Amino acid sequence: MARYILKRVLISIPVLIGVVFVIFFMLNVVPGDPVTLMMGEHIKPDLIEAFRERMGLDDPFIVQFFNYLKNAVQGDFGMSYKLNREVSGLIFQAFPHTLKLTLWAALVAWIIGIPAGILSAVKQNTLVDRGFMTFSLMGVSMPVFWAGLLLQYVFAYKLGWLPVTGYKTWQAMIMPSLVLGWSSAGTIARLTRSNLLEIMKNDFIRTARAKGLKEGTVVVGHALKNAMLPVVTMMAIQVSSLLGGAVMTESIFGIPGLGRVAVSAIGDRDMPLLQGTIIFTTMLIIAGNLIADLLYSVLDPRIRVE
Amino acid sequence: MQEAIQAAEFAEETTRFMPPREDVEAELLDDTSIWSSLKSMLKNNKLAALSLAVIVIVILMAVFAPIVAPYDPNFQDADNLRFAAPSMAHWLGCDELGRDVFSRLIYGARVSLVIGLVPTLIAMTIGTVMGLMSGYMGKKVDFIIMRFADIVLAFPSLLLAMVVMYTLGASLVNIFIALSIVKWAGTARIVRAQTLSLKEKEFVEAAKAVGVKKWIIMMRHILPNCIPNLIVLFSLNIPDSIMSESSLSFLGIGAVPPSTSWGLMVYRGKQYLFNYPWLTLAPGVAILILVLAFNFLGDGVRDALDPYLKD
Amino acid sequence: MNRKYLALLLVLVLGVSTLAGCGAKAAGAEGAPAEKISYDNIMRLGEVTEVDTCDGQMTTEYYDIPFMIFDRLVEATSVGEGISEIIPGLAKSWDISDDGLVYTFHLQQGVKFHNGKDFTAEDVKYTFERMLLPETGAKNQDFISPIKGSQAMMDGAAKELEGLEIVDDFTVKMTLEQPFGAFLASLATPGCGIYDKETTMEAGKDFGLIPEKTIGTGPYYFKSWVLNDEKLILKNDSYWRGAPALDGISWKTVADADTMRMMFESGELDVFDCDYAPTQIGYFMSNDKYKGNTVIGNRVGIYYYTFNQSIEPFDDVRVRKALQMAIDRQSILDNLFDGRGQVLSGIMPPGLVGYNPNLPEIKYDLDAAKALLAEAGYPDGFEMTITQSTNSPDTLSRNEMVQAQLAKIGVKVTIEQVDEATWYAVRADGELPMYTTSWSADFNDPDNFLYTFFAPGNTQKRSFNFKNEALSNRVVAARAITDNDARMAEYQALEKAIIQDEAAWIPLFCKQHIFITSNRLKGFRVSWNGWTSTWHYYDGLHIEN
Repeated sequence: MARYILKRVLISIPVLIGVVFVIFFMLNVVPGDPVTLMMGEHIKPDLIEAFRERMGLDDPFIVQFFNYLKNAVQGDFGMSYKLNREVSGLIFQAFPHTLKLTLWAALVAWIIGIPAGILSAVKQNTLVDRGFMTFSLMGVSMPVFWAGLLLQYVFAYKLGWLPVTGYKTWQAMIMPSLVLGWSSAGTIARLTRSNLLEIMKNDFIRTARAKGLKEGTVVVGHALKNAMLPVVTMMAIQVSSLLGGAVMTESIFGIPGLGRVAVSAIGDRDMPLLQGTIIFTTMLIIAGNLIADLLYSVLDPRIRVE
Repeated sequence: MQEAIQAAEFAEETTRFMPPREDVEAELLDDTSIWSSLKSMLKNNKLAALSLAVIVIVILMAVFAPIVAPYDPNFQDADNLRFAAPSMAHWLGCDELGRDVFSRLIYGARVSLVIGLVPTLIAMTIGTVMGLMSGYMGKKVDFIIMRFADIVLAFPSLLLAMVVMYTLGASLVNIFIALSIVKWAGTARIVRAQTLSLKEKEFVEAAKAVGVKKWIIMMRHILPNCIPNLIVLFSLNIPDSIMSESSLSFLGIGAVPPSTSWGLMVYRGKQYLFNYPWLTLAPGVAILILVLAFNFLGDGVRDALDPYLKD
Repeated sequence: MNRKYLALLLVLVLGVSTLAGCGAKAAGAEGAPAEKISYDNIMRLGEVTEVDTCDGQMTTEYYDIPFMIFDRLVEATSVGEGISEIIPGLAKSWDISDDGLVYTFHLQQGVKFHNGKDFTAEDVKYTFERMLLPETGAKNQDFISPIKGSQAMMDGAAKELEGLEIVDDFTVKMTLEQPFGAFLASLATPGCGIYDKETTMEAGKDFGLIPEKTIGTGPYYFKSWVLNDEKLILKNDSYWRGAPALDGISWKTVADADTMRMMFESGELDVFDCDYAPTQIGYFMSNDKYKGNTVIGNRVGIYYYTFNQSIEPFDDVRVRKALQMAIDRQSILDNLFDGRGQVLSGIMPPGLVGYNPNLPEIKYDLDAAKALLAEAGYPDGFEMTITQSTNSPDTLSRNEMVQAQLAKIGVKVTIEQVDEATWYAVRADGELPMYTTSWSADFNDPDNFLYTFFAPGNTQKRSFNFKNEALSNRVVAARAITDNDARMAEYQALEKAIIQDEAAWIPLFCKQHIFITSNRLKGFRVSWNGWTSTWHYYDGLHIEN
């Protein structure tokens, strides 16, 4: 077991370096000089040169990359071009908001997805099945910004029940987590449904039924606990994928999280900030995946992924 | 925004965390059985059949747009038709420049469908080849390809697409490139997993024993058996691409005028929600219906082709 | 087996809820004001993008907070629609020598900064020198660069400003390189707020970023700043002009303009700037809910399309003139801005000193346009590109209208969208093809328009590549004309030559700036130049709950 964990962790390291490289490469081949952009039009050329030198922007690409990597390992992602603040500080300010949104959304996804998945598996190919799957898939089928706007229109403007934006109160969190959570409820519902269907075909379920147990007992007592294994594992992954999903939800609902930071960094061409945000988010996702794998192998010793 | 990765993720995670299947021996499907499974699925699953009909209608509308559309989608009559409400002459009203929304919707379907199809095809082709190589050749090839896949899968897909679009600039071709880069890895993982299990099968061992070349084994013996999975992936990846494009439009790096996509229409129309709601509701509902249809069809296909899920 | 799963689920649920708890706690604790602030008497405004800094010297984009937390030596105030006047600020009076070279400012006495430090002449000197020193990296040097010796400082050759002399604690003398008629007006710009020497030096890089360290003498002090969320300023009870009636002003950063509008309509904001929904002006104006809540100001500014004369066929004046005549500007104004504005045919908009109401009109005339194109050798038109930055649906609509209009004379327009940063970068290289944008007055003088656009270096930086050097040089020379009437006459002559004879750009229109206010907010005014950021947030504004 320990060896397996060690192997998984070791494999994550080149992936992480690869991620940093990909982002660093892509953002550094973009045309246009970020320095001119950030320093304004009145600056003399020699000052720009001095600045470039100080920031190491004239070094060969590979040198810049390793310097960046070296600093990043120490938690230093450089200074934001636009906001004149340390990138790591900005990330740590924004991260709790995103985490909070993500966890709320995950909760919504499970609350919608798991019952929908169970019911539609039990009533496979009936109206109930279709109805629940439709509902949970609707979340994936609407542009997030559109769904958010419609919700705001109905619940904030027309009915006045909820605030349009915000994140400090639980009322304010309802719409953003609903929008984000709903959009991944479909995945959860599908997974629950297909696993449950599969398990129900197994011999031990037939045996249970043959023993005359009630259908409800069979499903809840026997099938579900086996079917939930992958779903539970999926939850860990879900949280990390929701992290990335927060980008638009945060913009619509005025939540000052990582997604907002990333989107505005793109608009401002603030490369250090963009790099830092993406690398940080990616690190979380890699960690999430790792936990999911380990969790799964702990839960079910028959499987060692890879 | 996790839409883009969902199909891949769904299929990937289901294979990744599938409960042990020792008790059922999976039968390998040949072409005719795939076909007949699909046919019987459509007969039994009304929702999937309806979805297929919706998709076919949208495709036909897009292909025959010049015939179907009542007006030129770019013809402006701002002075007379600005914000004209839906009427017999203009079924879905007119936009801020006096253009017929219904005609724009029909032409927009072209762009949205192309964005759904092209990146999916590219990504799946790359993913399949990578997955086959990785699974069959194993060792170093496997390690390298899978680490690349890991890197791609580690990114939040929308952020990666954003960065690619940001690097390349906004254009239709660049959307294809961005979405292909984001999506190939999911397919690669699934095909790899399938290849790994097929590699051990007798017929592959037999072919190997008589000295059939590697790539012929991959193409003739392994690939055909991956097809059911690929069909499922295909039908679930298309709606994801369509959704991703709408997100990119929201971020201002999506489709480029004068051609319009449904995502761009929703985005541009949303500022009129209060007084001219059809400008955002029409394309929004269109996306909802089309994407739902693809998802239902995909689920249906999955139910039909997965031996474990069949009735 | 069963128990194992239960335990696991329990652990997961616990973990998640603890995490959520932490998240919530961390989110609440950081940055936000510790005490509960009542918004009953605080004006709530919205903005779409987060700002880089509240240090007025360091930004050319954001002036709201710099206007309110700092005072300037003089202020520009609106005395009527589009008419501004320079009134005393931290300088209670001033003398100007007859040759227009020496300005002597007599400063207010007894003024204190927010942290209790006294305001003296030393602070003025420090502030101006800080702006000019290259290591500061300031962006608004232009406004004080007429002072003698400023070039030497900007080049790093001098550490002190030669033309600025402290006579005594409350008297400052400034000597200009050459007479500059708009000098007082430019001192009233938001970049010229006066900082406290000690505090600002101590704050270093944090000045403008960290509220407690960003100290001025203004009617409000900087309370808090949560990035991408809210900036809050609260009233300065001991303000030297008297404390403002509002308890404070809050700016919410709302990334999406439609969300912002939703917030306003749901009562979460006090002011909605119709610039965020220009086509909706009719809706707001005709909505009973907002009767009497509309505040209209004329923006002293102009919308225009550019020509890049380095790109064929725009090197041909006939082509440029043809395009000027082929665009139906009134239709664009009517359809995209509810007709609220006035079509212009020059550079200087109404409200600007020197505006020429008698400038001949550029007529919308397709036949004449076609004839000119044919004469220039393009009887069937040509293909061209208009570039815009993405994420601006309103610009897109404008470009699409022009695209359709130019098609009528055979000109085929491609609209190219690039991200904002690329757009600026390419423009600075002088390589942007045609584009549309707007400009509004920083200070009330034609120089702010003509020099900004048509001084030799500037036409390239804005991708006009205007080729007529004689005219460009006259634009620079006009700055030094001391006789004001003669200066205005020269600007009007230049305007006609540049726009109507040379057809250097396509003027579109000036536009009203319309705000809708909540029922509780009273006395909201628009600044003389039509800006949102104005120090009028100080006087007359109050809330009736």
